[in-house]
Amino acid sequence: MSELTSRRGLLFGTAAIGAGALLTGCTSNESKDEPAANDQPAADDKPGKQVTIGFAGPQADHGWLNAINDNAKSRAEKYSDVTLEITEGSNDTAQQIGQIETLINKKVDVLVVLPADGKALTQVGLKAMRAGIPVVNLDRIFNTPQAYRCWIGGDNYGMGLNAGHYIGEKLKGKSNARVIELAGLDNLELTKQRTQGFDDALKNYPNIKKVARQAAEFTVESGQAKMAQLLQAQSKFDALWNHDDDQGVGALRAIEQAGRDDFLMVGGAGALSAFQAIKQDDGVLKATVLYPPTMAASAIDLARALGQGKGIGGMAEFEIPASITLYSAVVDKTNVDQYMPTGFK
Amino acid sequence: MASEPPLLTMSGITKSFPGVRALDGVDLDVQAGEVHCLLGQNGAGKSTLIKVLAGAHQPDTGTIHWRGEAVTLRSPIAAMRLGIATIYQELDLVEHLSVAENVHLGHEPTAAGFVVRGKAARASTARLLKRLGHPEIDPARLVGELSAAQQQIVSMARALSHDVRLIVMDEPSAALDPDEVDNLFRIVGDLTADGVAVVYISHRLEEIRRIGDRVTVLKDGRAVAGGLPAKTTPTREVVALMTGRNVEYVFPERPTRDVTAGKPLLEVRGLAREGEFEPLDLTVRPGEIVGLAGLVGSGRSEILETVYGARKPTAGQVLVDGQALRPGSVRAAVRAGLGLAPEERKAQALLMLESVTRNVSVSSMSRFSRGGWIDRTAELRAARAATRELSLRPDNPSVPVRTLSGGNQQKAVLARWLLRGCRVLLLDEPTRGVDVGARAELYAVVRRLADEGLAVLLVSSEVPEVLGLADRVLVLREGRVVHTAPTRELDEHRVLDLVMEGSPAS
Amino acid sequence: MTQHASPPRDSTGKVPSAGEPPAWRGLMARADVRTLSLLGVLAVLILIGGITKPDEFLDTRNLQLVLTQASVIGVVTVGMTFVITSGGIDLSVGAIVALASVWATTVATQEYGFGGILFTAVIVGVGCGLVNGMLIAYGAMVPFIATLAMLASARGLALQITDGKTQIVTVPSVLDLGERDAYVLGIPPLVMVFAVVTIIGWLILNRTTFGRRTVAVGGNAEAARLAGIDVRRQRLYLYLLSGLCCGIAAFLLIVLSGSGQNTNGNLYELDAIAAAIIGGTLLSGGRGTITGSVLGVLVFTTITNIFALNNLQSDVQQIAKGAIIVAAVLVQRRTASTT
Repeated sequence: MSELTSRRGLLFGTAAIGAGALLTGCTSNESKDEPAANDQPAADDKPGKQVTIGFAGPQADHGWLNAINDNAKSRAEKYSDVTLEITEGSNDTAQQIGQIETLINKKVDVLVVLPADGKALTQVGLKAMRAGIPVVNLDRIFNTPQAYRCWIGGDNYGMGLNAGHYIGEKLKGKSNARVIELAGLDNLELTKQRTQGFDDALKNYPNIKKVARQAAEFTVESGQAKMAQLLQAQSKFDALWNHDDDQGVGALRAIEQAGRDDFLMVGGAGALSAFQAIKQDDGVLKATVLYPPTMAASAIDLARALGQGKGIGGMAEFEIPASITLYSAVVDKTNVDQYMPTGFK
Repeated sequence: MASEPPLLTMSGITKSFPGVRALDGVDLDVQAGEVHCLLGQNGAGKSTLIKVLAGAHQPDTGTIHWRGEAVTLRSPIAAMRLGIATIYQELDLVEHLSVAENVHLGHEPTAAGFVVRGKAARASTARLLKRLGHPEIDPARLVGELSAAQQQIVSMARALSHDVRLIVMDEPSAALDPDEVDNLFRIVGDLTADGVAVVYISHRLEEIRRIGDRVTVLKDGRAVAGGLPAKTTPTREVVALMTGRNVEYVFPERPTRDVTAGKPLLEVRGLAREGEFEPLDLTVRPGEIVGLAGLVGSGRSEILETVYGARKPTAGQVLVDGQALRPGSVRAAVRAGLGLAPEERKAQALLMLESVTRNVSVSSMSRFSRGGWIDRTAELRAARAATRELSLRPDNPSVPVRTLSGGNQQKAVLARWLLRGCRVLLLDEPTRGVDVGARAELYAVVRRLADEGLAVLLVSSEVPEVLGLADRVLVLREGRVVHTAPTRELDEHRVLDLVMEGSPAS
Repeated sequence: MTQHASPPRDSTGKVPSAGEPPAWRGLMARADVRTLSLLGVLAVLILIGGITKPDEFLDTRNLQLVLTQASVIGVVTVGMTFVITSGGIDLSVGAIVALASVWATTVATQEYGFGGILFTAVIVGVGCGLVNGMLIAYGAMVPFIATLAMLASARGLALQITDGKTQIVTVPSVLDLGERDAYVLGIPPLVMVFAVVTIIGWLILNRTTFGRRTVAVGGNAEAARLAGIDVRRQRLYLYLLSGLCCGIAAFLLIVLSGSGQNTNGNLYELDAIAAAIIGGTLLSGGRGTITGSVLGVLVFTTITNIFALNNLQSDVQQIAKGAIIVAAVLVQRRTASTT
């Protein structure tokens, strides 16, 4: 735990000590019915000053990104004092810059930005900050902390780390255990971070060896294709970590087609279909590591708090933190019911 | 003048490209202050020769002497340094740059070696344009906004912006109207008066008569005549040198029966296309060959393509056997029994990657297919029969059509229509690119097809061909029929007079 | 210049015919050499696979796997070969596969079961092809632009239908088709569909008037028009055909992956074009070979398979794919020019 947060801290030069713990405390309480996470807001719940929040994200062409939008919208609807200005999602950097500039010109009170490309959108983040609009940077991080007031996002390294530890514990005592990895799109940095975390975790288990790794493309089709090849290449192995539950649909299909059930599989991200499979417990998928889309709901809370000049409950400080890294919890049969409502389609 | 040492002497220049010898030992000498005309048909080697002169091509063998010294023209820049400038037919100007920038492209006046002095460039450009008689062209305008004639002037100004002693002009008058041609000739006169030599390429004999001093004629990569006097050599001799034709064509005998009797098979009534040709009436009977004579640009090909439906007429109609065709529909024309052998065989008729069989069968596939499935044996048999009837060589329809000679390619096109059972044959320049020996055979084929009952409409820019083959001739000038007569009432002079009436050459 | 471009050929033209002249043999040899060189590449690949991973590579299951993986893109490539042979291009194939696959797997469609899914996939493919064909043939749009527009809109529509969500197939008969139990004599049904499409495609291109017209339009559209071929109608049919292949491919993909997703068919257009080109189909049109295209697909699929079995990563795979395209085209050009 401390290892992962300090790594974030080092990486981004922001004070993140304890932040992970804080947010876990915030989001892992009892949930009720909403598609998002739990109801407890970051700032206090009483209606305050009216706040207009501008929200700009990429095109929701993937289940997880779609869940981000849903979380942001439904969270904002809960507050009578929040007006959400949400833009058409776009993967085009220029277009997204234009959308954010429009929001700046509309003089929204706070901006929540999930950039299509963090580096490319840094300038517009700076512009907003200079215009006096606090920016909540969601997940894909800007180049400089000057471009945001608060960053909140998932932990790719931590995902790999926790997946590795989970598999390590499950295979404890098994000598010459073999593990394979079905990675995500290889030209994304986050894929490299997930693999790095996974490899680092496995170093703690000398009885385990990673024997193969292939990269899919976060799509069902590529998941099926690459998994089929991996199964042909490795006639025997004990565990599989798949980076992404969406491509996992294809991977599971390939496993079913090959008639294999002699290993355990851990997924990634937290899709509803994965949760359901874990709950049923009749296949190879035993757990998945979260990369929670509920972060968008938290971002709305943070934006509201910023707009109303409040801190967050549960912390001694008057101000909300500059950086919040979410914990990549492992969901398995023991706690899947709790997470079921957060699962995305 | 002839006693002075020549400005330029090229001797024994050869240049080959893969599969073709473009220049085959060409000699050319040019005196300072003369206008030396280069004549030759397309493909005779003129373009290659001037590219060698401009340094754009390196000759395989041969020597070039410049003012008495042997030189190697390694690059266009090397040629330019010596004082050789070339104005190409396709103007090589940059449309998005200004006139002054184009004129000084590659040798901009600079300060400190790299800062372009735009003002100086514009001033010197303005001086050049004035000298060329076009002070109205603004050096700051973009070249793309100028007319073709103005662009030509800019191109010339660019040539003169160097210290030039020899200018090569490739068909400079092609894009100009008569006034502008006069101005061009004035400029050429000024240049030669200053001792600059001009190598002038043109197809127009009358221009060569007006401004030329000497003529060199190229044919098939050889200089068949060098340094003829431009003003006095008879036209007949020049044409004979260009075409290599001093024998009369052998034309098939005309039938003795009266082909003008009987019901017309093809009838054209008031057919017109605005801007191309005026309302036209003509009839062709079975067994008759009707010729359309006229210069390039007289609307001949346009008429043929409109009759065929490849172009949509703005007025009039085409009837076959008394039935009007749907205007602008090739398929309707083909169904009614029309067939076209177009002027550009390779571009408009042949599938160059395919065999002769497939080129022949393409218009009648339904004849040997059932439900879309092709009976390839029947197809081959039919194609073989059609090509044999025309004595197509080689006698093997499976060879790729691109391996055939020009005359045999034309036969493949004719075989296509023969197989289709075509009744009206439209021939556009049927012997273009066909060598002299094969022409007679092709003429015989056309006559035989007519004798078998086909109606033939023939277009040719070669007057002897029209006169030798057709039974009746329509003379065209600028999109209008100026004369119609049976062939026996016409001769070459009469037709040429009619064709060129009013033009400077007549 | 072009007038003079063929003197050596003129000489063959004048050779008195003695049985079959050499030019005909030359043509045969050229056609064969192209296919043979590709078969050679495939043989080398099989050798490499057999040496590096004898147990995993030379295995019935692996053969089934490679052929299955080739089926979806293979069917698309057969359609693409027709379009390229006619001098056109279809950049929208991947997007059409995506759209057809999601439209056929919506909850509403799945209610109609196997037939509903198959019918919808095919109809959506044909519909997109119809739009492409109308725009190109009768709207006089450049194929590149028309199909690029289709690419964008079909992907957009696919996203709208799915909302970015993966649609899981729940119809058992569709899912069963992708399982081992459905194999007939060891041949997966997907591979059978691929084989049937290939054979029909070959017959159409080589034995029918439709194929002839396709080649004629690609070789010289103006000449085809003046020879009396309805060039525009032919173009319409060709894009329809490509759309149909995309619809079939979409159904195969649904069976294979058990789902429909708007990101399906990613970069199929480039894979299909690459396979057709290394197979020997001319990008400029006028010559096309179904055999070559299918071999091209198999070469690419085999490479991917060998690389995955040897646990090489995607960066190396992509570099090798690029190198193979260049090498195959160079080898073909050389062999074609020396015969």
